Amino acid sequence: MARRYDSSTTTFSPEGRLHQVEYAIEAINNAGTCVGILASDGIVMASERRITSGLLAPAKTSEKTYQLCNHAACNVAGLTADANMLIDQARLRAGRYQYQYQEPIPVEQLVEYVCNYKQFYTQRGGLRPFGVSFLFAGYDEQHGFQLYQSDPSGNYSGWKATVIGSNNQAGKSLLKSEYITGEATEDEKIPDLQDALKLAVKVLNRTMDGTTTAAAVEKMELFTLTVEDGKCVHHILKTEEAQQVIEAVETETASAGDA
Amino acid sequence: MSILEYNGAAIVAMAGKDCVGIAADRRLGVQLHTVACDFTKVFQMAPKLFVGLGGLATDVQTLKSLLEFRINLYKLKEERDMTPTVFSNLLSTMLYEKRFGPYFCEPVVAGLDDNGKPFLSSMDLIGAPVLCDDFVVTGNCTGNLYGMCEALYKPDLEPDQLFETLAQALLSSVDRDAMSGWGGVVHIITKDSVITKELKGRMD
Repeated sequence: MARRYDSSTTTFSPEGRLHQVEYAIEAINNAGTCVGILASDGIVMASERRITSGLLAPAKTSEKTYQLCNHAACNVAGLTADANMLIDQARLRAGRYQYQYQEPIPVEQLVEYVCNYKQFYTQRGGLRPFGVSFLFAGYDEQHGFQLYQSDPSGNYSGWKATVIGSNNQAGKSLLKSEYITGEATEDEKIPDLQDALKLAVKVLNRTMDGTTTAAAVEKMELFTLTVEDGKCVHHILKTEEAQQVIEAVETETASAGDA
Repeated sequence: MSILEYNGAAIVAMAGKDCVGIAADRRLGVQLHTVACDFTKVFQMAPKLFVGLGGLATDVQTLKSLLEFRINLYKLKEERDMTPTVFSNLLSTMLYEKRFGPYFCEPVVAGLDDNGKPFLSSMDLIGAPVLCDDFVVTGNCTGNLYGMCEALYKPDLEPDQLFETLAQALLSSVDRDAMSGWGGVVHIITKDSVITKELKGRMD
C-alpha cells in the first residue's frame, strides 16, 4: 500500500509519513552500535568495531569516533561514506564560527547545523537522505558537557545517555535501569567517568552478539571527552586501558551474579 | 608613506644549532602616533612553528585567524601538525590568491621540521617565498636588520647564544627606526621546548 509513496523523498504518504526517511533510519539499525553517556566530569562514547575481514588494514586512529573541533567529537552509526561528507561540513562550520567570533561554537549550534544539512536532503527532489545517525559529545562554557543524538531525518535531541545502531532497544532498556532518570538525589548520582565507562561496556556487551572478554577489547572502541586545565581532551582508550575497564566490568558482573 | 609602513614592525628570525629563534618589536602605531606597546606580531601555529607577520596590523590579525582556521582543518583531517615547509607553502598560496587585492603583510616563517632541522622562510605580500638557512627579516627597518644580522650572525649558535644575537640585532635595528621598537619579544624553539623572553628596550 505504501509502495506508491515510498520511492520519492519529497512525497508524503496518505498517513502523513515520509517513507524514504523512515527507510534511512532503518538502515542505521543494521550498523555497529554506539553508546553515549553523560558523566559528571565528562562524556563517554563507546562503539562496536565491526571487523568484517582479517585482511582489512588497521584503521589509523579510529573508524567510529571523529573529532569535529577542539571541544566536540562525534560517533557514527550508518553509511561511513555519508558520514564523511557530514563530518567535513561540521568541521568547516566549527572552523568558520571560530574564525568569525574568535570563540568556540556552542555545541547545540554545531549539531543543529549538521541536522539542518541532513534535513535539506529530506525535502529536495532527486536526492536521498543521509544514512547516518550521530552521537555528538561536546563541551561549552554555557551548558557544560552535552550529549546529542541525530538521525537521517535531521531531528536531534539532547540525552543523558543513549544508544544508536543495532540492538539499540536492548541497550536503551539497560540504560533506563542503570542510569539515573529524573533529578539526581543522594542515592542516585550522575556517574563519574570511570563508572560511565563501565556502564558503556555493559551496554555494548548486551548489544553485541555474545563476545568473550579476550575478543572484546578489539571489538570495542572507548572514547572520553574531558576538560583538563581549561582545555578539552579527546581520548581514545588504548588497548591496555580499555582492557582494564572490560575486566572491571567482568568482575562486577561475576560478583553480582554470586550476590 | 607606503601602506606596509602604516603601523610599523620589525621582525627577525635566525637559525641556530638544532634550534630557531624569532624576535619582534611590540609597537603598534598609526603613522607617527604610537598607540600600543604590547601588540603581538609573532604567533605560534604549532608546537615547533612560529610565524611573524609584519605590515598592516589589521591584515596581521586577519591572516593569523585565517592561518589558524586552515591549520585546525589540516590537523583534523591529517591527524598531525603542519610542518614548516607545508605551512610556508600554504601561506604563499593564500597570499597569491589575493594577487590583485593583497593582504598588506610580509611574513616570515620559523620552525623545526619533523627531524628537528631548522626551517626559515620569508615572502613578499603576494607570496613569493625565499628559503634561507641563516636569517630572515621583515618590517619597516629591514635595512637595519639585514646589516645587524650580517654583522652578528654566526652559523650553529646554541640556544642561549642565538637569543643574545637575536635580541641585540633587533634592539639595535629598531633604535634607528622611528616606527619600530617600544619593547621586544624573543621566542627560541628547540627540540624540547619553546622559551619566550620579553626584551627591555628604549620606549621611544
